[in-house]
Amino acid sequence: MAETVIQTKQLQKEFIRDEFHVVALKDVDITISRGEFVALMGPSGSGKSTLLHLIAAMDRPSGGEILVLGENLRTLSDRAIAHWRNAHIGFVFQSFNLIPVLSAVENVELPLKLTNLKKKERMEHAETALNLVGLGDRMHHLPRQLSGGQEQRVAIARAIVTDPDLILADEPTGNLDATSAQDVLTLLSRLNKEFGKTIVMVTHDPHAAHFATKSRHLEKGELLPEGQVPVDWTVPAKA
Amino acid sequence: MFRYVSLIVKNSLRNRRRSILTIGSIAVSLCILGVLIAMYRAMFQGMPTEAQALRLVCRNRVSLTQPIPIYFRDKIQRIPGVHDVMAWQWFGGVYKDSRDPNNMFPRFGVEPDHLFNVNTEFQLPDDQKLAFKNLRTGCVISRALADKLHFNLGDRITLVGDIFPVTLELKVVGIFNEPSNVDILYFNREYLREALPVDSSQRDTVGAFLIQADSPADVPRVAEAVDREFEATPFQTKSESEKAFTLSFLAFLGNLKLFIMAIFGAVTFTILLVSGNTISMSVRERIREVGILKTLGFTPGAILGIVLGESAVISIIGGAIGCLFAAGMCSMIAHSPGSMFMPALKTLGITPLVGLLSLGVALAIGVLSSFVPAWNASRTSILEALRFSG
Repeated sequence: MAETVIQTKQLQKEFIRDEFHVVALKDVDITISRGEFVALMGPSGSGKSTLLHLIAAMDRPSGGEILVLGENLRTLSDRAIAHWRNAHIGFVFQSFNLIPVLSAVENVELPLKLTNLKKKERMEHAETALNLVGLGDRMHHLPRQLSGGQEQRVAIARAIVTDPDLILADEPTGNLDATSAQDVLTLLSRLNKEFGKTIVMVTHDPHAAHFATKSRHLEKGELLPEGQVPVDWTVPAKA
Repeated sequence: MFRYVSLIVKNSLRNRRRSILTIGSIAVSLCILGVLIAMYRAMFQGMPTEAQALRLVCRNRVSLTQPIPIYFRDKIQRIPGVHDVMAWQWFGGVYKDSRDPNNMFPRFGVEPDHLFNVNTEFQLPDDQKLAFKNLRTGCVISRALADKLHFNLGDRITLVGDIFPVTLELKVVGIFNEPSNVDILYFNREYLREALPVDSSQRDTVGAFLIQADSPADVPRVAEAVDREFEATPFQTKSESEKAFTLSFLAFLGNLKLFIMAIFGAVTFTILLVSGNTISMSVRERIREVGILKTLGFTPGAILGIVLGESAVISIIGGAIGCLFAAGMCSMIAHSPGSMFMPALKTLGITPLVGLLSLGVALAIGVLSSFVPAWNASRTSILEALRFSG
C-alpha cells in the first residue's frame, strides 16, 4: 500500500471578508499517496487554492486536521513551518514569481541558501535543476530576458532543487501560451513519472488535468466524491 | 546571514536612481556629521601635549578683553609650584592689506627671556634666541608663517596697531619650529610698551600671563593660588589650564558643545526620517517578493535581516562617501585662516576612530530607519504578501 503523503479530516477554513463570513472549505477529507499527481479542479471560489495553501502551510485551518508527510501542521510554530516547507515542499506559482534582480541560476539557488550546503554545492545543484528543465543555456539570464514558459521552467527548477517530497502547483499554466503550457505540463508529468514526485496541481483547465493521474473537484468549499464533477461544470474553452 | 549578501546587495541597488539619491543624501548628512564629530573631538576631547599640560593662562576674571597689571608677574613667580611666568599680550593690528586672509595671523607681545622656557616645544637655534633677546624690535615667527608668507631672516614686518595706537616696525630674527604648525608671530612686549605714549595706561598692563607649572599635578593648585593671591585687588584673576582657556575662548561663540550636538541631532533625525521613508517605499514595492521568500522557507527573522541588511548597505556606502567628503572638508578647515585662532582645528581630521564612529552612526541610521518596515514585512503573512500587486 502506498504511503500517505497528505491526509485531511474535516478540514475547514473560514474567514471574515469585510462584514461577510465566508466558508472557504467545509469538512474536506482527502488522502493523497506518494507518487500521485493530483489535479484539484473547480470553478473560481471553490476553495481549491485555499486547500493548496493549507497543504503548503501557507495558511492555518479553522478546524479539522491536516497531516502532510506525517506532520500535524497545526501544531508547528511559524519558524518550524518555514524550515519544514523549505525541506519538503516545492511551490510553483501561476505568475512565476522569480526575483527580478537575480539570474536564473541565482533564483534556483535561493531555497538552498537555507541549507548547510556550501556555495559551490549550491550552484552545482541549481545548475543540475536548470539542466533538468532544459534551461542549461539560460543560467545567467535575468527573468526579464526569458519568455514566460522559460520563467515558469526556472520556477519549477527552483521548486525541485531541494528535492522536495511534494510539489504544489497553483495554476502553473494560467499565464502561458498553449505551447509553453504543454512544455510545463510535460515537465511536471515527467517529474512525477521519472522521479516519483508527488504533485498536487490546482487548475481549472481540463486539458492540464489530463496530465494528472487523478482529478478531484471542489464546489463551494466542498470536496466532491472521487469521479464526481459539479452539476453545472462546463469545460472552459481552450485558448 | 553572509549567504544572503549577494541578494542584499542586488536588492539594495535595484532601483539605481533611488539608491543613488538615498546614498547621496546620507553622504551629505554623514559629511556634516563627520566634520562635527571631528570638531567635537578636536576641541573637547583632544589630549594636551606634555608641554601644554604644564601651562596655565591667567587673565582678568571679568573678561579676556580687560587687562591686568604687569606687576602681578613677580607675585605669580613667587607662588610655589610656578616654574616660569611670561606676560602675554594680544596685539591684533593690521599687516599690509587686511582684506587678504593670508595676512591675518596672531601677533603677541611677549618676554623674550621667557618665551622658550614657557613654550618648551618651540625649537629655535640659540643664536636666533639671543638675537630676539638683544634686539628690541626683533620678532620670531613660526615656520608655518614663514613658509606661507615667504618670510626670511632679516625681513621687515610692519604692524599697524588698532587696539594699540602704535605702528611696530619689526625685523625677523628667528624662525622657530613647533608641532601644531600654526601661523604666529611673537615680538618683544617691551618694544610695544616703549612705543606707547608715556601717559598710556596700556604701558603697565597686560592681557594675560602664561604660566608654566613645575608639574601637571601642580596646575590646579597653582591656578587656585594665583586667583587667591589677587582676590582682594581690583583686578581679580581667572587662572586655568591652557586647554580650559582655549575652550573658554571658544565659549565667546556661545555654547559650542550644545550647538554642535543640536546640529548633530537635527541632521541625524532628518536623515532618519528621509531614509525611513525611502526604505518603507522600497519594502512596500517588494512585499510580494517577501511572500515568495517565505514560501521558499525563509523565516521572519531572515526576512528581517535581509531588509535591515539592504538598508545597512545603502547607509554604509553613503557613510563611506560622506567620510571621504568630511576628510576633505576637515583638511580645508584645518588650512583655513580661521584655524589660527583655534589651534585645535589645525589637527582636525577624520581619524580612524572618527571614521569608525561616523560609519557607526550611518549603520545605526540605516538599521533604525528600516526597522519598522522590515519588522512589518517579516510579519506579513504569505498570502497577504502574495496578494499584493505593487
